[in-house]
Amino acid sequence: MAFLEINNVSKIFGRSTVAVEDFDLQVEHGELVSFLGPSGCGKTTTLRMVAGFETPSTGEIRVKGEDITYRPPNQRNVGMVFQAYALFPNMSVGDNIGFGLKIAKKPLEEIKQRVEEMLELIHMKGYGDRYPYQLSGGQQQRVALARALAISPELLLLDEPLSALDAKIRVSLRQEIRAIQQQLGITAIYVTHDQEEALSMSDRVVVMLDGHIEQVGPPFEIYNFPKTEFVAQFVGTLNTLNALVHDPASGILVVDGQNIQASHALDGLRSGDSAMVSIRPERLSFVTDERKANVLICTVENITFLGSIVRILLKLEDQTFYMDTFNNPYLELKKIGDQVEVTFSTEAVLVLNQRVVA
Amino acid sequence: MTETGGSLSGRAQRRALFSRRNNGGYRRGSSPIAWIILILGLLYFFLPLISVFEFSLKMIKDTYSFEAYRVAFTDPRFFLNFGYSVLWALLTIILSLLLVVPTAYWVHLSMPRLRPVVEFITLMPFVVPAVVLVFGMIRLYGSPPVVLIGSPILLVAGYVILSLPYMFRAVDTGLRAVDIRTLTEAAQSLGASWGTILAKVIFPNLRVAILSGVFLTFAIVMGEFTFASLLNWRAFGPYMEEIGAMRAYTPQALAVVSFLLTWGSIMLMQLVARGVPGQDQIAGAH
Repeated sequence: MAFLEINNVSKIFGRSTVAVEDFDLQVEHGELVSFLGPSGCGKTTTLRMVAGFETPSTGEIRVKGEDITYRPPNQRNVGMVFQAYALFPNMSVGDNIGFGLKIAKKPLEEIKQRVEEMLELIHMKGYGDRYPYQLSGGQQQRVALARALAISPELLLLDEPLSALDAKIRVSLRQEIRAIQQQLGITAIYVTHDQEEALSMSDRVVVMLDGHIEQVGPPFEIYNFPKTEFVAQFVGTLNTLNALVHDPASGILVVDGQNIQASHALDGLRSGDSAMVSIRPERLSFVTDERKANVLICTVENITFLGSIVRILLKLEDQTFYMDTFNNPYLELKKIGDQVEVTFSTEAVLVLNQRVVA
Repeated sequence: MTETGGSLSGRAQRRALFSRRNNGGYRRGSSPIAWIILILGLLYFFLPLISVFEFSLKMIKDTYSFEAYRVAFTDPRFFLNFGYSVLWALLTIILSLLLVVPTAYWVHLSMPRLRPVVEFITLMPFVVPAVVLVFGMIRLYGSPPVVLIGSPILLVAGYVILSLPYMFRAVDTGLRAVDIRTLTEAAQSLGASWGTILAKVIFPNLRVAILSGVFLTFAIVMGEFTFASLLNWRAFGPYMEEIGAMRAYTPQALAVVSFLLTWGSIMLMQLVARGVPGQDQIAGAH
């Protein structure tokens, strides 16, 4: 029995707007699971159903085996951090953090001690008497986190908590949130549309599209072995190339007249079938560096300098794709129009499920 | 040399810009037409008040004195009627708050589509004259099954209706300035019940807006005449009318007092708005 079970949950707004469909997920105790997907994919609706702010149209939600599907949000013992901080403007930082404990009628001394503990946890000791409007966005979100954690919730829900913050604070705060979550061993669900955030913080990532789960897995698996074209495209930069199956048993395909080989047999495909092949730009290199199993001859179309990375656009007969190389000041860059040989391993070739993405 | 020249040129440009801004400001701020309009407006507003005040000081012939005020304040009926009005105002405020705040909160939270409907209903006192309202109430509650004639409930209920546009708009503006939904959900996730959310989160964050509505309601009820007179209840408005029929100077003094009361309420609104952490807006003005 998993700590949190979301069993076949669907949510339909109005008569026919399907926000979430057959969502099935088990979360273990102490795990941080991210819901990742574009706007409108149902990730926040799912989180809100776990929090109790929305009622599922079908399915059930269980925590430690107990059915909480229809339990009001104030009886779920779930801490929630919102995108807009949601600190009570009329209360000081200390009062905000102690709010849930006051509701639970904890002794005053215990509340005071817990508030101090929480302030220390978020590195904001001495800020207890300040008001939310006297804090920066990052500080407000840390207080919101402390407030959610102060009640010792069974589950911590974070709804795009870093979206309103600037890039630098986002990075430092996501590390802080992850460290605190691991330190307290609390089970957490983190909603985000930022793939970097999801990949860097989570034990597992749930990639969602149009109300359903596309893929669930650890960040490494999601990034390196996407199961659908959407996951492959949404998570990281990806080259997708149209190919024809040549020899399915040997995993050989033809891309613009040149053969490439996958590391496995192409189950379910026959010779002459069309297929979608994906290759991450960073898995490619020039033959001059090292020759791997696959080699494609192509022409340099464009070169973009991105700081630590140089992105090169290459053209086959009809299709183009990107190759990323680390920036090296002593590297002799190719010129536009140069004919080059690009190499990659058979493992770098991913043959995707044929899901059409709008 | 070039640098100095550039610097001078830059300074000259800044001076020119500053001068243009100032000239522009001078033209805008000191336009004779604007001044004339302002003076006319001030005269229109203050001249009657000054006249009333000046007249109220002339009770003793050939000298200015506060005799009319002394007479007004020494009349025991003044305090009796004033006290009644304060009582009606307090009851109206309590009832209005109990009716308007939860309604406006619920509309914002769960039924935002109904907001225009509720707003329209609250504007009814602007459309239906008070005298029509009060006769309607007398007709409706003057005979069984529900007889409320002779009960102050009818008067207070009438005042609640009269103050609805002000109270609702004040609270509505306050609710729009705060992210009510997220604050409510945050409080719920921390274990708060609906009552606690209203008392500890919503009311305090609407303090300025609520106080604006409270002071406006207070000012309206203190000067109201029609309801109290036709429902035959003691109040400051009918008292002023009664005195006005008998005396010349005391009613003017009472009018000035009534006006000061309204101004005092508005000043209190401003003062309260300044003292609330995180809230720098009062009802009706973002």
